[in-house]
Amino acid sequence: MNCKEALEHLYEFLDKELTPDVERDVRNHLGACRPCGEHFDFEEAFLRFLQARSRARSAPPELKRRILNELFGE
Amino acid sequence: MVHLDALHRVASRLTGNAADADDLVQETMLKAYRAWDQYQRGTNAKGWLLTILRHSFINEYRRRSRHPETVDLDAIEPFAIFDGVQEEDPQGKFFDQIVDDEVLRAIDRLPEQFREAVVLSDVEGMSYEEIARILDVPIGTVKSRLFRARKMLQAKLYEYAVSMGYIKGSHA
Repeated sequence: MNCKEALEHLYEFLDKELTPDVERDVRNHLGACRPCGEHFDFEEAFLRFLQARSRARSAPPELKRRILNELFGE
Repeated sequence: MVHLDALHRVASRLTGNAADADDLVQETMLKAYRAWDQYQRGTNAKGWLLTILRHSFINEYRRRSRHPETVDLDAIEPFAIFDGVQEEDPQGKFFDQIVDDEVLRAIDRLPEQFREAVVLSDVEGMSYEEIARILDVPIGTVKSRLFRARKMLQAKLYEYAVSMGYIKGSHA
């Protein structure tokens, strides 16, 4: 696998959506190619950051009360 | 109501405002409760709920959703931010200085098709297959929307980080 092919699988690799064969090929390439390894690490850090920042909030407690009341109340 | 937080996060990003998000979640829960006999046990409950939520959004809220002007899709070249930062900050540490609100604002500015893909994947951690089912599109479409959406978000947040002085940036 060359750099271009590896990059085409970037997000599928990080999202763990590749078949085991292709995933292994990408992993082998990343082990052998430092620039691609760094690029993938950067993208992985970006996705982790995105998740951490966007998953932080929970639903307001009054909404939960409202729904429970609507479903089972009165 | 284990999935309430997830429903609320998705509803907030779809509607773009807190009051509509609350109403949309409430409506989704009521519809789900009434349609409970249609839910197939053992299948993905979160996916089922999100499908109901999305249909309600499209049918009743989309028209009046108050999203800020979205970015012009064609104006964004999906160039790799990495090329511009690999000298200065190859590990992307500058991202860590960007706060929640700024990230949510950037997500809210994505065109709807891209926003829902990124919310289901990066916010809710769903698989391509689950996302394809909820959005009713082929998996290839999910992949390409996610690719574009993430590149757009990167470009937006990178631009913001440069404007705040978190990173010098290179104008390649």
